[in-house]
Amino acid sequence: MRRVLLLIGLLVMAPALRATVLVPAEFREIVAGSQIIVFGRVADVHAEWSDDRRRIDTVVTLDASAYLKGGPGDVVTFRVPGGQVGRYKNVIVGAPEFRPGEEAVVFLSAAGPAVAHVFGLSQGVFRVRLDAATGRRLVIPPLLTASGDAPERVTRGALDRTPLPIEEFTATVRAAMAPARVTR
Amino acid sequence: MSRRAALLLTLALVAGTVAPAQAYLKLGARVGTRTLTLKWPAMPIRYFVTDRGVPGVTSLQLQQTVSKAFATWDAVPTAAVSSQFVGFTGAGPRGGDGITVIGFDNRPELDRTLGATSFLVDTISGDIVEADIFLNSAFAWSVAAQGDPGGFDLESIALHEIGHLHGLAHSALGETELRAGGRRVLAAEAVMFPIAFSPGSIALRSLRADDIAGISDLYPAAGFSRQTGSISGTVTKNATGVLGAHIVAFNPRTGKLVGGFSLQNDGTFVIAGLEPGPQVLRVEPLDDADIDSFLDLTLGVDVDFRVKFYEKLVVVPRGGGATRIVLKVLPK
Repeated sequence: MRRVLLLIGLLVMAPALRATVLVPAEFREIVAGSQIIVFGRVADVHAEWSDDRRRIDTVVTLDASAYLKGGPGDVVTFRVPGGQVGRYKNVIVGAPEFRPGEEAVVFLSAAGPAVAHVFGLSQGVFRVRLDAATGRRLVIPPLLTASGDAPERVTRGALDRTPLPIEEFTATVRAAMAPARVTR
Repeated sequence: MSRRAALLLTLALVAGTVAPAQAYLKLGARVGTRTLTLKWPAMPIRYFVTDRGVPGVTSLQLQQTVSKAFATWDAVPTAAVSSQFVGFTGAGPRGGDGITVIGFDNRPELDRTLGATSFLVDTISGDIVEADIFLNSAFAWSVAAQGDPGGFDLESIALHEIGHLHGLAHSALGETELRAGGRRVLAAEAVMFPIAFSPGSIALRSLRADDIAGISDLYPAAGFSRQTGSISGTVTKNATGVLGAHIVAFNPRTGKLVGGFSLQNDGTFVIAGLEPGPQVLRVEPLDDADIDSFLDLTLGVDVDFRVKFYEKLVVVPRGGGATRIVLKVLPK
């Protein structure tokens, strides 16, 4: 009976999960490949059909608290694939979702006149969460940065890989943007 | 059954806080306070292939490769899944036509994405009216039998996306390394690991134990639940449940790995589809990942804890479960 109950539990419960196949970028590459890097709070999220009515995209409006790169104005708008219009929801597995009120640092590609989009689908999204214990804003996920040119194995649970306070995160972004020092 | 009816998927509409535990990663879509779980109500899965190739891959090679990838899933003896190629279509995998299409396309906003699976869900009826698999024509592809360093292996990527089409989400059973210019997969024990191997690799043309446990859990063949077992319990830190912990069951006899996640605030987890016998349990944080590709981060995933092995071997009974396992982790 316990097994039956367990299996019923397995069948009926599933949080929203995401998926796709990515070619991952190292953090400096995300920084270099983004035209806009902004920390802010999501002010509005609305979905709309594409012009050919073949898919639904979501337009996200962010109240900018600080631009780390670029800076189109007090607010920045970008598009993520998927969303819900009326009774229909288009789920693009792997695409990030945003909710009004949440804070994030987003890395945006903005080529030409088109509305900007997130670098690497979800790779350019770093959520900011208030740590109840310390009252600090922490950035999730922890950064993965190569310290040099030699390959480095990524080990889960590494003690030095923890969510960074937003101040440290933004400093890391700025450091990644700084031109390399030339030595003679 | 009409074509459209045959394409409809039934979704289990469930409240997000009802059940205490969740085992294998299954695809879901949040609608308001509900979560829709994706599952085909009937087999075979009928699909079309876009009648367009890319440099190095003709449309016929695309179809043959996709069919081979479907056949790999269909061949899992403990899962009741099957597929049927209906025909070529001029339509791309862009939606809006009510059929399941697999094909190459160019979508600049999906940069760095080799492939993606999409669903159009009717949130009222719970049906999925359409599902498509997009393969990014901006990349170089290969169907070479032994792989080609000049392109990503189409069969491997198709196998992964078809896993999504069935309703499987990602597995975290993989290891990577950082190097200048990107991140590279060193090893993966699941086709459903979200990061692709480098071009030329054909390492993930075959399913692993984790994939087989997942597809069998979603679509169990007769006898599956009697032949396998499960492990369930909780992950806690400072006496509080840990959300989003990755738990891995390792069978020391066969070397097989099957993973699962704690997906509730109380830290409960279930790993199903395990071979009976002793298993080594390890819990680790998902602190090296693009968490958005695994979980809804607004759930409050905790990545700030140390790796932990369970002190004892866990013996999985055939047709039953090893329960009440408590994995106590420490903060970093």
